Amino acid sequence: MGTVSPLTIQSVGIDIGTSTTQLVVSRLTVKNIAPGALVPRLAITDKVVLYKSEIHRTPIDGQNRIDAERIYSLIREDLSSAGVSPHEIDTGAVIITGEAARRENAKSISAKVAEFSGKFVVATAGGKLEAIIAGKGSGAADRSRRDFSTVANIDIGGGTTNIGVFNSGSALDSCCINIGGRLLEVNRSTQRVTSISKPMHLILNDLKIDLGNGDHVTLDLLRRICQRMAKVVLECLGLLDETSLLKKLLTTSPLRHDYELNTIMVSGGVADYVYSPSPNMSFEQATEYDDIGPLVGSEFAACVRSNSLPMEQSVETIRATVIGAGAQTLDVSGSTIQVDDQLLPFKNVPVAIPFPGTIPLDVTAIAGAVSQSISNFYDNDAIEKVAIGLPGRQYFDFKDVQLLAAGLLQGLDCLIRKALPVIIVLEADIGKVLGQTMRAINGEINIVCIDQLVVAEGDYIDIGKSLTGGTVVPVIIKTLVFETRQV
Amino acid sequence: MDKHTEQYIVESVLKQLRERETAKGSRSGESVAADLASAVNTNTINDPVELEAKNFIGIENPKNMEALKVMRESSPARILMGRSGARQRTPSLLNFMADHAAAIDAVLTDVSAEFLEKNNLFKVVTVVKDKDEYLMRPDLGRQLSDTAKQEILQSCEKGKQVQIIIVDGLSSTAIESNVADVMPALIQGLESQGLTVGKPFFIQYGRVGVMDEVAPLLECDVVVEFIGERPGLVTAQSMSAYMAYRPDHTTIEAGRTVVSNIHRNGTPPAEAGAHLATIVKKMIDNKVSGMKLSALSH
Repeated sequence: MGTVSPLTIQSVGIDIGTSTTQLVVSRLTVKNIAPGALVPRLAITDKVVLYKSEIHRTPIDGQNRIDAERIYSLIREDLSSAGVSPHEIDTGAVIITGEAARRENAKSISAKVAEFSGKFVVATAGGKLEAIIAGKGSGAADRSRRDFSTVANIDIGGGTTNIGVFNSGSALDSCCINIGGRLLEVNRSTQRVTSISKPMHLILNDLKIDLGNGDHVTLDLLRRICQRMAKVVLECLGLLDETSLLKKLLTTSPLRHDYELNTIMVSGGVADYVYSPSPNMSFEQATEYDDIGPLVGSEFAACVRSNSLPMEQSVETIRATVIGAGAQTLDVSGSTIQVDDQLLPFKNVPVAIPFPGTIPLDVTAIAGAVSQSISNFYDNDAIEKVAIGLPGRQYFDFKDVQLLAAGLLQGLDCLIRKALPVIIVLEADIGKVLGQTMRAINGEINIVCIDQLVVAEGDYIDIGKSLTGGTVVPVIIKTLVFETRQV
Repeated sequence: MDKHTEQYIVESVLKQLRERETAKGSRSGESVAADLASAVNTNTINDPVELEAKNFIGIENPKNMEALKVMRESSPARILMGRSGARQRTPSLLNFMADHAAAIDAVLTDVSAEFLEKNNLFKVVTVVKDKDEYLMRPDLGRQLSDTAKQEILQSCEKGKQVQIIIVDGLSSTAIESNVADVMPALIQGLESQGLTVGKPFFIQYGRVGVMDEVAPLLECDVVVEFIGERPGLVTAQSMSAYMAYRPDHTTIEAGRTVVSNIHRNGTPPAEAGAHLATIVKKMIDNKVSGMKLSALSH
C-alpha cells in the first residue's frame, strides 16, 4: 500500500479587509511522504499561487456597511479572470478581517459568499487568527522554520495591526492593536479631515491634539500622529516602554514577551511604504488614498531604523493575509482514520478539551470529564455538534483504547441520544482503532474520528469530505476565532 | 578547607576502612557466595551504570540550541552526541553497547511460554532443530515439520478467510511487546467487516516464507504473519506484518504486502491492527496482494 498517487487541491482565498478586498487561487499538492512499507502519511507538499487578483477597494454602501452584492460580483469577476469555475474549487477560505469584521453585516456577507460554493469556509477571523494567517502568508513562519529563529510578523492594515510571532515554524504568540493606515481619512485635495475613527480619537487625546471633521491638517501634524502610531507598535512588541495608549488600543490580550525576538517582518497594505520609504513625501503622496497609510509606513520604517531593529524583507506584503487564507490554513489529518463520509463536511464545530493533562484510564473518570466539558458549551436542551479534542502524544495499548472508547461513548451519551455524530480529534495516531472500537461497542452511531491534529480549547474546526478514497480529510483549525474584544 | 575539616575527613575515611576490614574477616567465603547467588536469583543487583537519556544533546556551546532541539526530535539516530577529543563520550559508548546487547538478546532469546499462554496461542516448530541452525539455514525456517502440520490441522479450522500467524523471526522481543495489542485490534477490525478469522498460533524458528505452507494447509484466503524484524540499534521491538492472498510455493516476494515498523515509537500496534484490517479487506475484495495491490491505488 506504499504508493498513493499525489492529489492536487484547488483552493481559493478571499480576504475582505478594512480598506481592500483580494482573492487568490492556489494549488496544493497532497502526497504520501512515508517510505514504501510504512503506513501512508499524507501531507501538503507543495503550495503554488496560480492567480492573484487586483487589489480592490472594499465596497461600502450608503449605510457604512460592506456592500454584499458588489463583493459577490467582485468574486465572480475575479474567478472568471482566473479561469476557475465554482465547481472546480475544492476548498476555500473567506476571511473578513480588521475593521471590516465589525461592520454590522459581516456575518451575512459570510453567508452570501458561502452560497457561491458550499466548499468555502468563512470566518470573521478575529485579531489573533488573522495575525497567524498573515504571518504564514508573508513568509515569516517559513523564515523562522528555516533559521530555527523567532520572527514577529507585523501586518499593518487599514484598521488594525496584527502581530504574529513564530518560532521554528510554529505560531508562538499573537495579538492585535487598533493601528492602521485608514484610522484617519483626509481629502487629499482640500487637505481637510473627512473621518476620524474611534481609535484615532484615543491617539489624538494622547497627543493632546484637538482635531475634528472638516479641520485643515498639515503634513507635520499627520507625521506627528503617525510617529506616535509607529511607537505604539514597537511598545506592543516590547521594544519600547509601554504607555497607557497601548493598553487602550489593544483589542486582544497583549504579547507574552517571554521569548526573545530575532527578526521582525512587515506585511499588510502599509508594508510597501515601510520597505521603500520616501522620507520627503509630499502631502499629496502621503494622502494618496485619502488616508494616512503611506505616512504610517514611512514613519514606522524611520522608527525601526532609529532603534536599529533587525528588520527583514517579507515575501508577500499587501497580499500576505489573502495568501495565508488560501494556501496556509488547510491541514490534512493522519491517514489511518475512521470517518462516515456522508456526514461531511462539518463547519465551525467547537472543540471541547476534557483533559488538560494525561487522560485517566478509567471509564467513569473519562465519561465524567467528557460530559462536563461539553456541558460547558451548551445547555442540555440546546445541544449541537461538538468535537472532543484529545491533544497529547500519550501511548495507548489496545486495552487503553477500549477504555477510552467506552468512556467517550458514555460521556457523549446526550449527544448520541440526539442522533448527533461523535467527532473525535486526536493527536496520538490511534484514530482508526479508536473509531473502530467505538463502532464495535455501538454499531448505530455516526463517527468521525481523526488523528495527528493538535487542537486547543476555544478552537473551531472545519472538516471536509475525505480525499484519496477515505484515507485523509482536509481540516481547517480556527484558533481563538471569536476572541477579539470589540472596541 | 580548614585544618579541622581536613582532619575530620581523614578520620572518618580511616574508620570506615577499619570497619570493612573487620567485616571481611568475620565472614566465611560461602556466606558471601550465597548472598551473591540470592542477589542474582532475585534480580536485586542494581544496574552498575545509569544510561544517559537518548534525547541528550552533548554538543558544548552550540551556536543555535533551538536548531539542535528540532533536529534531535526529528530522528532517533545517534546524532548530536558531542565528543571527547576525537572520540565519542563514555555515556554514548555505554548506550551503544546497551543497545547492541538488547539487539543480540532479541535474536537469541525465545518467546516465553507465559506469553503464549497469556495470548492463547499454541506453538508449532519448523524443521529447524535449534537457534544456531535457524540462523544459518534460512531455507529451513520456511518449512513446517510434519508434527507441526498435524498439530495445526488438529487445532485450526480449515476454510476461514483470514489466518493469523505469529512468527518469532529475528526478534522475540518484538513479538512479546506488540502482539497483545495488534492482534485484538486486527481481529476486531476483520470481524467488523464480516470476515471470518481462524485460530491464531505461534511458529518457532520461522521465516516470512513459512506462510506459503500455512495457506495451502488451512485453505484460507489471506495469511497475516506477524514476525520480529531484524533488530537494529534504535529499537529491538520493531515488528512487521506480512500479508499475502492465497500464498503457496509459487509465491514470490513481490506478491506479499508488508507493513513494517510496528512498535510503540513507530506505528502504534493498536492502530496498526486497525489499519491492517482495511488492507486485508481490500486484498479479499480484489483477490490480489503485494505489488498488484499497490498498483490498484493508482
